[in-house]
Amino acid sequence: MEFLDLITNALVSGVALGSIYALLALGLSITFGVLHIPNVAHPALMIAGAYAVVFANARGLDPIVAALLLTVPFYALGIVFYEFYARAFEKRGRGNTLQSLTLFFGVSLVIEIALVVAFGTDLRSVEVPYVGRSLEFGIVLLPYRFLVPALLAPVVILALWLYMTRTYSGLALRAVAHDDRALSISGVNPVSIKRHAFGIATALAVLAGAALVITGPVDPFAGRVQIGRVFAIVVLAGLGSIPGTLVAAILIGIAEALVTAFLSPSWAPGVAFAILLGTLAIRPSGLFGAR
Amino acid sequence: MNGLVLENVCAGYGAVTVLHDVSLTVREGELVALLGMNGNGKSTLLNAILGFVRPSAGSIRLDWEGESTELSGREPHRVVDLGIGYVPEGRRLVPNLTVEENLRLAAAGRSRPDLKDNLAFCFETFPILAERRRQLASTMSGGQQQQLAIARALMTSPRIMVIDEPSVGLAPIVVDQMIQAIKTLQSEKNMTILMAEQSFFQAVEVASRAYVLAHGRVVHAIEHGLDADAIETIRKAMMGVD
Repeated sequence: MEFLDLITNALVSGVALGSIYALLALGLSITFGVLHIPNVAHPALMIAGAYAVVFANARGLDPIVAALLLTVPFYALGIVFYEFYARAFEKRGRGNTLQSLTLFFGVSLVIEIALVVAFGTDLRSVEVPYVGRSLEFGIVLLPYRFLVPALLAPVVILALWLYMTRTYSGLALRAVAHDDRALSISGVNPVSIKRHAFGIATALAVLAGAALVITGPVDPFAGRVQIGRVFAIVVLAGLGSIPGTLVAAILIGIAEALVTAFLSPSWAPGVAFAILLGTLAIRPSGLFGAR
Repeated sequence: MNGLVLENVCAGYGAVTVLHDVSLTVREGELVALLGMNGNGKSTLLNAILGFVRPSAGSIRLDWEGESTELSGREPHRVVDLGIGYVPEGRRLVPNLTVEENLRLAAAGRSRPDLKDNLAFCFETFPILAERRRQLASTMSGGQQQQLAIARALMTSPRIMVIDEPSVGLAPIVVDQMIQAIKTLQSEKNMTILMAEQSFFQAVEVASRAYVLAHGRVVHAIEHGLDADAIETIRKAMMGVD
């Protein structure tokens, strides 16, 4: 009976955890998966988003409502940043990966230091009525601080998927992943589509930040542990696949929860990479990637 | 006069100049063949018209209904908006979008009735595309992909279509169909077309006029009618024998 308890709870919390991971990886699935920009600063942006949510929450706003409002300035920030990136890198030498990687690594350090200077290194958290309580359903026990962000993820993913498949600019966004020139020939400016995509990815970082800070307190460096995991999810999903991101993240979430329950929590961070390497050996294009 | 006018265009890549003083004209309603062997600058010339290659000198003008627009120096998507429909070498479709999505993508910023009319026109011209509208572009045969690439250019409501080597990579029988389809666009649908081709005989059979490009220069311009003499002259020019 205890074994059944353990495995059921590991599975449930694994799915919840995975769903949250999907939200963390979603912005990167656009910048890296669609635009092929190795944005290692995405987790740092997410933490900046979390701090913005904490700030708004201290003034009485619900973290999710705050995050939804904050998507607007974050979208604008993303557009400004892409403009800088495009001018500095893509126009000359067409975006050397190593150079962009260095740039985004630098950006991520700058964000972290800025957060330290502005808020100090203490852990920050949000206050919501449901933190500290859990959903009990038979043998399943799931804290609301996991359940709420875990439910937010599929909603955001569904919205993004509808946008990418049902709207004209979503169509252009899917096309830009393959060929700039195909867009130009269609009379669409590829640069403006990429800028827009980067804006959306940055806006998603603030939603991810809200999800993260609801699950637990954050410090300025909390993004670092997520860097490897989010890249693993995006590659595992198959570059640019939005539904794939959810499946890959839940797979990793469940595996981590099982390893934590039956082996040791210390092994959990390695699980994402073990699954990634195993999958890439069999399917180099990822789970849902087009070759 | 409505048409596309190139005057003394020089263009190239970095320090290498590929096109030297190229002048040519495409008038409304014509199908003009741009002939030349590989590596003589045909694609560079078409890329210069589209704005993918920036000319270092000369002018590329679209004269239409009394308005004259300089195209050189503009970004490709602007050139397409101004009325140049482009069918590139290698087709450059979006492989992970369906046939219809590829076509709709090219209807950027056009009004809905335009989109509907253009889509209907494409499907009427190339019925196979209507049949396969929900199929991914990447899963179609070479000939069907070429039809889709032409249809995509039609979706942009072009005044002039610029087609780069429609026969490349296709089986001989499909090449014939393709060239005939392009001819039909000009003769029955009154499209204006500039077509680069290597397959000399097929191209001169359907073209109203022809230019021969060798080493980045126009070495022959056949201005009036392609009779047997003219064809022989072009053939020699293309082969590099005088």
